[in-house]
Amino acid sequence: MTVPPAAETMLLEMRNVSKEYRGVAALKTIDFGLRRGEVHAIVGENGAGKSTLVKILSGAVAPSAGEILLDGDPIQIDGPAFARRYGIAMVYQETSLVPTPTVAQNLYLGDEKFYNRLRGTYIEAQQFLQSLNFPVDPTATVQSLGTAKRQMVEIARAVRLNAKVIIFDEPTATLTPEEKHHLFALIDRLRNDQVSIIFISHALEEALEISDRITVLRDGAHIITADAKTFSRETLIRHMVGRSLTDELYGRAAGGSRVRSPGEKVLSVQNLSMQNFVRNTSFSIFAGQVTGVFGLVGSGRTETARIIAGIVKRDLFHGGDVRLNGKSVRYRTPRDAVSEGVVYVTEDRKSDGFFETMSVAENIYIGQISSPESRGIAASVSETNALAANWRNRLNIKTLNSDASVVELSGGNQQKVVIAKALVQKPKLIIFDEPTRGVDVGAIAEIHHIIGKLADEGLAVLVISSYLPEILSLSDRILVSRQGRIVEELSPEEATSEAVMFAAVH
Amino acid sequence: MNPLRKVVDSWFGRGEASITIPPMDGAFRPNDLLDLAPLSLEAPAPDCLAVTSHGVVVSSDRLLLSVGRSGGAELASFETPISALAGLPDGGAAVALIDGRIVFVGGEHGGTTVQKNLEVACITALAPASDGTLFVANGSAKNGPGAWKRDLMEKNASGSVWRVDPANGAYTRLAGDLAYPYGLVEDAGSVVVSESWRSALTRISPGGDGRKEPALENLPAYPSRLSRADDKSIWLALFAPRSQLVEFVLSEDRFRRRMIREIDADYWVAPCLRSGATPLEPTQQGGVRQLGVLKPWSPSRSYGLVARLDPAFRPVTSLHSRAHGRRHGVTSCLIVGNQLYFAAKGDGVVAARSYEGLTS
Repeated sequence: MTVPPAAETMLLEMRNVSKEYRGVAALKTIDFGLRRGEVHAIVGENGAGKSTLVKILSGAVAPSAGEILLDGDPIQIDGPAFARRYGIAMVYQETSLVPTPTVAQNLYLGDEKFYNRLRGTYIEAQQFLQSLNFPVDPTATVQSLGTAKRQMVEIARAVRLNAKVIIFDEPTATLTPEEKHHLFALIDRLRNDQVSIIFISHALEEALEISDRITVLRDGAHIITADAKTFSRETLIRHMVGRSLTDELYGRAAGGSRVRSPGEKVLSVQNLSMQNFVRNTSFSIFAGQVTGVFGLVGSGRTETARIIAGIVKRDLFHGGDVRLNGKSVRYRTPRDAVSEGVVYVTEDRKSDGFFETMSVAENIYIGQISSPESRGIAASVSETNALAANWRNRLNIKTLNSDASVVELSGGNQQKVVIAKALVQKPKLIIFDEPTRGVDVGAIAEIHHIIGKLADEGLAVLVISSYLPEILSLSDRILVSRQGRIVEELSPEEATSEAVMFAAVH
Repeated sequence: MNPLRKVVDSWFGRGEASITIPPMDGAFRPNDLLDLAPLSLEAPAPDCLAVTSHGVVVSSDRLLLSVGRSGGAELASFETPISALAGLPDGGAAVALIDGRIVFVGGEHGGTTVQKNLEVACITALAPASDGTLFVANGSAKNGPGAWKRDLMEKNASGSVWRVDPANGAYTRLAGDLAYPYGLVEDAGSVVVSESWRSALTRISPGGDGRKEPALENLPAYPSRLSRADDKSIWLALFAPRSQLVEFVLSEDRFRRRMIREIDADYWVAPCLRSGATPLEPTQQGGVRQLGVLKPWSPSRSYGLVARLDPAFRPVTSLHSRAHGRRHGVTSCLIVGNQLYFAAKGDGVVAARSYEGLTS
C-alpha cells in the first residue's frame, strides 16, 4: 500500500524532485513527505538515491527539478548554511568534524562569539554532552576519538542547533549495542519534542524498530512509503531489490557453503602490544581461508590490523613479533608491507581509501604504483584505462561513465574501487576492515562473493567486522577480540551469535 | 644477520630477540581431548611407547610394561632406567638405557646389546630405519636424560643424531649441534628430528653430511617423540608449553646462571612435566593489574599436547590437556589401528582414544 504524502499536513515535502549527474538520473521525480515529530526511515540499495535525496535536503547538492516545501511554503536550499537556517541538520555517515580542534570547539563551530572564553565553552559543552548521556570529554581533540565517539559529537552538534529536521545517515554503523541503545533513546526523546527525523540505515532491523514510516527507493525511483508496522525484513528487502537476498547474503548462517581447510600459516602475530589499544595479543592467519575477527568497537581489532600493515607502529620496547611466512617483519610504511604482499582495506574509505576527486581508473592505478611490479609514476593513459576496465569488469563496479570521479559513486561501488586498488597490489594476505560498512544489501552479497573467491584462490584473508551475521556467514574460522587481545577462537560449527557475543563482552 | 641490528634488536627486545611465543590457535586450538581419553594404564613416569609382538608397550623407569591386552603386565626389567624405546618391524624392541647401552629384546637381534659410545651419553629417542639399522637421538653431549631442564637452562645445542648397525654395534654420526633432539622419524630417505629447545622439527639429509633444513618451526611447546601412522600422517608429542616467562629468563643470562647455581632445579623458572603440586613452585604468587584490579596470575609450566601433522609436516589437529587437566607432560604417542595411545609422564598415565574425525 502506498501512502500518498501530499494528502497529509507535512512539515517538509519534496514534490517531483529530480537530480541528474552528467545526464544520468540519480533521482527520478521523487515525492517525499515528512510529518512533524515522526521518525522516517529511507531504505534502498546503494545507488538507490538515498544519499542524493538527503544531500538535496541538507543543501549539499541542488536538485535538477522539483520543489521543496517547509510548513507548506516553498523554500530554496542553496547550501548547508541555508539548510541550517531552515532547521535542517545532517549527521553524516562519515563524520564531518574538524580533526584538530577539541570536541567543544567542534560543537560550537560556526557559532563562535566575538570573545571566546575556552573554559566556559568546555563547561557548557560538558553539561550539554552529559544531558545527552554521551561519555565524551569536551577537551579531547576530535582526532584522538574513536569513530563511535566522533559520531556522538556529530549527533550532539545537530541537537545543539535546535534543528526541526535531523537527518541521520547510517548513524549506528560504528556504534556498540550499548551506544546504539543510547542513540535510540535519544531519537525517541527528539521525537517526543516534535523533532522530525530522517533515518538512513542499511540495518533493516533498526529501520523497522525505530521508525514510524519507511520509504523504499530503488534505482533513483520511489517504490513505496508505508507505516513501519506493515513491513517485515523480508518484504523490505523484496521492495529494495526486487528479489529475496537472504540466502545470497548469509548463506552459511542458513546452512549453506562449505568450510575451507587451512593452508600454510602465512602470518603469526605473537604477543603484539601497542599502548593500551593492543595488549599482548597472539593469533595466526592461514592461506586459503577467511579468518573473521569479531569484536566490539574499541576492542583493538583495527589497531592490530594497522600494525600488521605498517600503518601504525607497535610498542618500541617489547612490542611483540609479527612473522610473515615464518620471517620476523616490522614495516616502517604501508608500502613496505605491500611490497611483501600484505594489504589492508580500510574501514574508513572516505578518508583513507581513495582520492575522491580522482577518477576510478586513476585510483586503481594508484594502487598499482605501490605494488612490487610497479614502474613508478610513469603510466600511459591506455594502460591505466585498460587496468581500470579489467577491474571494473571483474568486480562489477557500476560507474556513471568511464572517467567518473569516485565521489560520484554509491558506497558499494566506492568500496569495490578500494578493493580493486588493493587487489592490483597482488596481495598474499589481505585484511578487510569492515568491508561492507555503509554498503547496501545488494553490494554486500557481491563483496562477500569477492572475499570468498580470494580465499578460494589461496589468499590468506582476514575480515574484521562488528556485524555478527557477516562474520558468521563469511568466516572459516572466527577469532573474537576483547580489550586489545584475541580471547577466543571458534569454528563455524560452534559459532552461534550467543557464543561469539558472550566471548566479545565477558 | 647484521651484528649491529642484532645489538639494536636485543636492546629493544624485537626481531629475533623478541620475547614472544607462538599462539595456540589454528591446528593448535586448545581442547580437553587428552583428558577425555579413557585410561589404559597408571604407572610411575611412563615415558616411551612402542608397538611390539606383545602389542603396545611402555617404558616406566626400569620396566617395560604391556599397555594393551594385559594392561600393566611387566614384560622386562633392566638394571638401569630406560631412556628410549623403539618397536622394530620384526616385532622386537630396541631399549636404550640411561647408561648409554642399547639392548634388543625379541625379534631378529633379541639378546644383542650395543655397548655405550663415549660420544652418546643421553639417548632420548630411537627409530628403526628402512635398511635395518637404527636411528639414535643423543639429546645432549653435556647432560644425561634426567637433566633435560638443566640442558635447556644452559642453552645447550650439543645434541646429535646417529645411525647404529645392530649387527656390529657401529655408530655413524649423521648430524650434530642439535638443540636437544628428542624424537625421530624416517621420511623419504632422510630423518626428521624434533629439536626441543628450538621448538622445531629439522630434516637431516641422508648421506651423513649433516645438512639440516627446517621441517616445521615455531611450535608453541617443546616437541618430543615422533611416530608415523599407517595413513602416513605424523604424530608428535609435545612435553611442556613455552611461556613468555621462561623465554624471558632464558634471555637474562646473569639471572639464569645464578638461578642454576643457587636454586634447586625443581624450583627453577623452567618448564616441567607437571606443575601446580606445591606452593613452593615459582610464579604461584604473581599478579597482573587489569582495568585497575590486581588479579592473580600464574601461568602453567606444564601442559599436555599431542599434534597430528600431515605427511608434509604441517599441523592438522591437536589434542590437549589444559592447565587444569590431568594428562600433562606427554612424551610419547603412537597410533595403533584407530586408537591414539599417549604417555603422560607428568601425571603417570597412559591413555588411548579414537582419533578419527578429530579436527581443530
